[in-house]
Amino acid sequence: MTEAFVRATALASALGPDLDTAVERLSGSPLAPARNTTAGGAWPYFEIPVAGDDWMKRAEAVARAVAGSLRREAALAPDEWAALPCIIGSSSHSVGAWDRGGWAALVPPLEFSRMLAQSFGARGPAMLVNTACTSGLSAFDIAVSLVASGRFRDVLVLGVELSNRLTVAGFAGLELLSATAARPCDRARDGLVLGEAFAALIVSAAPGPWRIAALASGMDAASLTGPAPGGEVIAGTMRSALAMARWTGAAVDLIKLQAGGGRLGDLAEARAIRELFAPPPKTVSLKGALGHTLGASGPAELALTLASLARGRVPATWGFAAPDDELGLKPSGGDAKGVSRVLFNLSGFGGNVMSLALEKSG
Amino acid sequence: MYLLAPTVLRIAPEALPAQVRARFGSELRRSGAFAHLCMLGAQACLDAAGEDGPLAVLWSSRLGALHASRAALDESLQRGEPAMPFTFIGMQPHLAGALLAQRAHPVTRSAHLHLADEDWPLLLFMAQGWLAECKRVLVGRVEESASGGVAHRSDWCLLRKKPLAGAIRLEPAPDQEGGTTATAEDWIARVAAWAAGSKAPLLLRGGKDAWRFALGK
Repeated sequence: MTEAFVRATALASALGPDLDTAVERLSGSPLAPARNTTAGGAWPYFEIPVAGDDWMKRAEAVARAVAGSLRREAALAPDEWAALPCIIGSSSHSVGAWDRGGWAALVPPLEFSRMLAQSFGARGPAMLVNTACTSGLSAFDIAVSLVASGRFRDVLVLGVELSNRLTVAGFAGLELLSATAARPCDRARDGLVLGEAFAALIVSAAPGPWRIAALASGMDAASLTGPAPGGEVIAGTMRSALAMARWTGAAVDLIKLQAGGGRLGDLAEARAIRELFAPPPKTVSLKGALGHTLGASGPAELALTLASLARGRVPATWGFAAPDDELGLKPSGGDAKGVSRVLFNLSGFGGNVMSLALEKSG
Repeated sequence: MYLLAPTVLRIAPEALPAQVRARFGSELRRSGAFAHLCMLGAQACLDAAGEDGPLAVLWSSRLGALHASRAALDESLQRGEPAMPFTFIGMQPHLAGALLAQRAHPVTRSAHLHLADEDWPLLLFMAQGWLAECKRVLVGRVEESASGGVAHRSDWCLLRKKPLAGAIRLEPAPDQEGGTTATAEDWIARVAAWAAGSKAPLLLRGGKDAWRFALGK
């Protein structure tokens, strides 16, 4: 099978319209999220700072801006860029268009994926992956499999999650949202904060800055809305990733956590990490800075992690202040010197658990 | 790569609840018509294949869980009621992987895709990639009936890396001419019909790709 690399990354998020701005912001003091009142509450919510009353036009504007950043970094020839297949991960598709425009504004998922691919100028096959919160990383997984099979050299992956009432109402209904802030791994954590993100990556057979050493996946079917409390499947999935990458636990320099500030989810992941790593390596969570961007969270957090490391920084974990002894994790930012092997965890509703092993190449 | 148990189900919408009850009893709580269709087809395929082991599940549709999506927006948001679990963040199309795992199938990987008709061959390339890490990949195409009088569709097959008696060998055939153009909706049905009769290899096309199916090793 062909090896695969992350060739280029781009991101629009609450931290700013591009990765340079996001990394710079992340080295400063925490950003206060906006308030989302669309579902009848006033939930903290991380919005992409792009205005627009028309949901679809705003989505296209964000897409075009992200496409520009990605295209500059990927440096593909025009014909290579135009031939890109586009695999999109999203949990909510264009459902936000329904909020103001009703049924007439809602487009079928495939049409939405073609519209986004078109905004990127990618004319290869377009498809949309739907695995709830892991949708974007599942799209990445599919891109890796298409590269590994030799069918494509380069594949465009998008993670797209834009504001909509249904998602906020759903999480509020499940009482999973914090009324104040996301505090990953913190003693006072009391729920998630949702956010928007539009991330783009190129997965390529051509050597790039990060080699994909392994992408392991598991299914935690104990409950469809959260991990088993012991974190067994999370531990098993990380163990598989290490085995596939032929790494020992001690070889991991950094773990990007799934942790978003939920009491049980963070605890399950911490238990899994403590089972495999003694002591745990450096850890980081990005959900205090981006919010939980659901279907976009894989590509969005991957783009931000790799961009920060490329600029010499392990990103800060906003929202973490007081360690929880039960978790035993103290996520923190700092100098990225010596960080060359990263384990990237993601899990979500419906039971998908994923662990991606990335190694700095060259 | 080898293919087992191409399975084609056509179910009248009014017959679906009874078929689900007959096959699964009351086990499929909190899931809608799309997930029920996935489970009926996937389970029928696994029963026909008759083997066990780690399983990845890759299935596609054009519209996904049409009725569940409409219901979530119409019944919940429009009436101002809170959205209920399993009706948002695309949970309905995605449920089949977890429901299979809950029925003791060792699912290690799963993804649902919205895929265009002509792009069905890409599913086989994806499965080929997944088979590097997993012994078996269950591949499906599921479509809810959008209107009365039209049957629900749930077509599945099982792919494996190693040969097995009775399995169909398949491989990409980028340079081969001829063959038949298939779609995401009919390629499994075409393979099933061919496997039941002909001995000559089958060449199916979709988009820019072609795959060759042959009996034996």
